[in-house]
Parts: sequence; structure tokens; C-alpha cells
Amino acid sequence: MRPRTEEMRDALAAEYALGTLRGRARQRFQRWLASDARLRRRVEAWQERLVSLDDDLEPIQPPRRIWTNIERRIGGTPVRSGLWHNLGFWRGATFASTLAALGLMMTLALTRAVAPEDTMLVVMQDEDNQPKITASWNVDDRGRKQMRVRVIGHATMDPGTAWELWMLPQGDAKPVSLGLISTHETQDLVVPPELAEAINAAKGLAMSVEPEGGSPTGAPTGPVLYQGQCTRL
Amino acid sequence: MAEALDLANLMARCALRDQRAFAQLYEGSAGRLYAVALRIVRRHDWAEEILQESYVSIWNHIEDYTAQKSAPMTWMTAIVRNRALDWLRRPDLERGGDDYDLLIQTVPDEARGPAEKLQASRAAGALAECMEILSPDQRQSLALAYAHGLSHAELAAHLREPLGTVKTWVRRGLDRLRGCLEGKGETAA
Repeated sequence: MRPRTEEMRDALAAEYALGTLRGRARQRFQRWLASDARLRRRVEAWQERLVSLDDDLEPIQPPRRIWTNIERRIGGTPVRSGLWHNLGFWRGATFASTLAALGLMMTLALTRAVAPEDTMLVVMQDEDNQPKITASWNVDDRGRKQMRVRVIGHATMDPGTAWELWMLPQGDAKPVSLGLISTHETQDLVVPPELAEAINAAKGLAMSVEPEGGSPTGAPTGPVLYQGQCTRL
Repeated sequence: MAEALDLANLMARCALRDQRAFAQLYEGSAGRLYAVALRIVRRHDWAEEILQESYVSIWNHIEDYTAQKSAPMTWMTAIVRNRALDWLRRPDLERGGDDYDLLIQTVPDEARGPAEKLQASRAAGALAECMEILSPDQRQSLALAYAHGLSHAELAAHLREPLGTVKTWVRRGLDRLRGCLEGKGETAA
């Protein structure tokens, strides 16, 4: 039930900004926020009030690799070089992935309206055909297209390594890097428009394990953990 | 405030997809935001991942920022805090695994830190002054909840007080804080 009085609304906004609103109450509040600009203003006001609590916090320099990873994620300019010796690894979609795709289609349909040409889904699976990563188009509030990557389950990444996402173009063309991803369950990748079109027509996507900072050659160098076919829904 | 103006300027350039401006924005804010994330999740690898995702999200949504009234650091801090709190909600943590126990156990070391440090803050802003008028229990509850991302239940366990009592401290603390700040004219950011 939505809070009726302004006092209740402000009390919830305060606890949300403080961080004590948790679990389902927090999720429910976030749904209200999405459609309630005045409630958002209240939260912003509380965030502004509380942020001074951090003023004494000693900054801690994060490791350099963080910026390297971020830069690769936002750049979206793939390096086209190196050789792809191992195209045979890619086995095409299995029946299981099609079923998984259909299941996820319902979720997709509920999340956000996307143009018909953008209803693409990739379910990347491991060797045992278990779905591990999904990718689909997501249109943000401003109509910009991003690749929404979801990591299924609680994946772990070995220290000193990075996960790199690749597009496998039609034909014999070499894989194209889409950037690094993390193990976070929901991520958005910025993809240049020309690459987005190629992805819609691609055979599939794959994820390889690379050294920190990504593949040094511009082609996958480490083991390919997950792969999947681009499915048009 | 020169620093704030600078960040706002960088944000505006980032909205035009200026990646060099974004690198400067990162330089100027990552240390603080990393500390914010680390204090909540208390593990470097987790904080690193949260930081990375947060900056990608900041870049992707920076145009939305223009519609906001909050200061750049407030907006970015909210993104990091949200991700950190979401991280704590992960099922493997909620089940109360080793990581989670570690998380709770390590908090007492700094239990009286944030509130006391706040009192000693040289930037004795309106918030610091208003924190002063709270009861020590209220002040400590708010400082702990904010700094370490503790829920009501975690606060209660940590302070060894009944859940209802702690909830009341938090609610009344926030209420008095707002009253005090509004009384001070609460200059818009």
C-alpha cells in the first residue's frame, strides 16, 4: 500500500536514503520512485542532507585496473586484430537455449518496450548447456540503446583476470570485442550503432577469460567459458 | 565551492560524451566513492566491482543528471550506495554465510567512529550541528546505518537493543534532523 500522508512519504524517503529501508520494502519503494517525481525529489533532498556524513571519509585510491576496465566498457571501440583460430568451438544453439530464450522473452516483454527490430536475445551457456549470461537490448529513458547483460547466479572471477564479451559475426569474420563485463548481475554496455546492427545479424556472442584489462591482441586469447546464439524473438 | 563547480562542469562535458572529462571526473571522485563502497561491503574485491559498475552506470546515465537538483557528488554517491546496498541483499549473503558474519563482526571496531569523527569534523556544516542535537543513541544509529549500510535488524544486533527501540531511534533521529536542518534554512545545494 502506498503511503498516503506526506509525513509517511518523507519518512520512507529518509530511510531509503539512509539505507535502512531493505528487502521487499526497498524494492517496492524503488518501483514507486520510478513513477513518482515528487517522491524522487524527497529522496534527493535526503541524500543531499546525509551526504555530508562522508565529508570526513579518507579517500582510498582504487586499483588502476578499475579505470582500465571502465574505459574499455564505455569506449565501445573494438580492436580488430589478431586471429581467431578456434571458431569450431561455437556449436550453435541447442534446444535448451531456445527454451531458455522463450522463458526470458516473457521477462523482457515486461521490462521495457523495445522496437520490434530490437527484440534480440542471446543466452550464453556453459559446456553443460546451463544458461550463464544473457544479453538483450535495453532502451533507456532517453531512447538510447544499450546492451543489457545479465549474469545468472553468483559467478566468481579469478583474481587478475577479466571477462571479455565477443560478437561472432556471420561468415568467417573474426570476433569483435564488445568490452569487458563484471560478475555483477545486471550491466549495461554502450554499443556503437553500427556495431549494434552487426550484433542483430550476428551468429552469436561468447565470453572469454582474458588477462586483467582485456585481451592484449584484440582477439580472444583465453578459454571461452560461455557462448550462445543470437535469437530474434 | 570550487571543487563542486568543477565536478558540475565535468559532468556537463561528460553528458556530451567527452571521455577525457569522464577520466577527470573519475580522478576527482573515485577515491571517495571507493571508500564509500568499501565501508559498506568491507571487501576490496566487492568494492572494486561496485565501483566499476557504478562508473559505467554514471557514464550511461549522466544526461539524466541534468534534471537533478543534487550536487554531483551526492548523485554519484547515491549510485554507489544503491549498488553497495543491493550487493548486501545478494542471497548468498542473506543466508548468513561466512562473509556475512565477517561483515557484522568487523563493524564494532569502528562502532563509535563515524559519529565521533563527525563531531570533530572541521567542516562543521549544518548537518554536523544538527547531529549534535540528537540523543547519542539516535546519532549513533544514523551514523552506523549510513556509514556501514546496516539494516534495522543489523543495528539492533550490533547495539544489542530490541529491534523496536532501534527503529524508533532511527525514525526520531531522522525526524529531528530534518526539523533542525529546516530550521537552519537548509540552503539548497
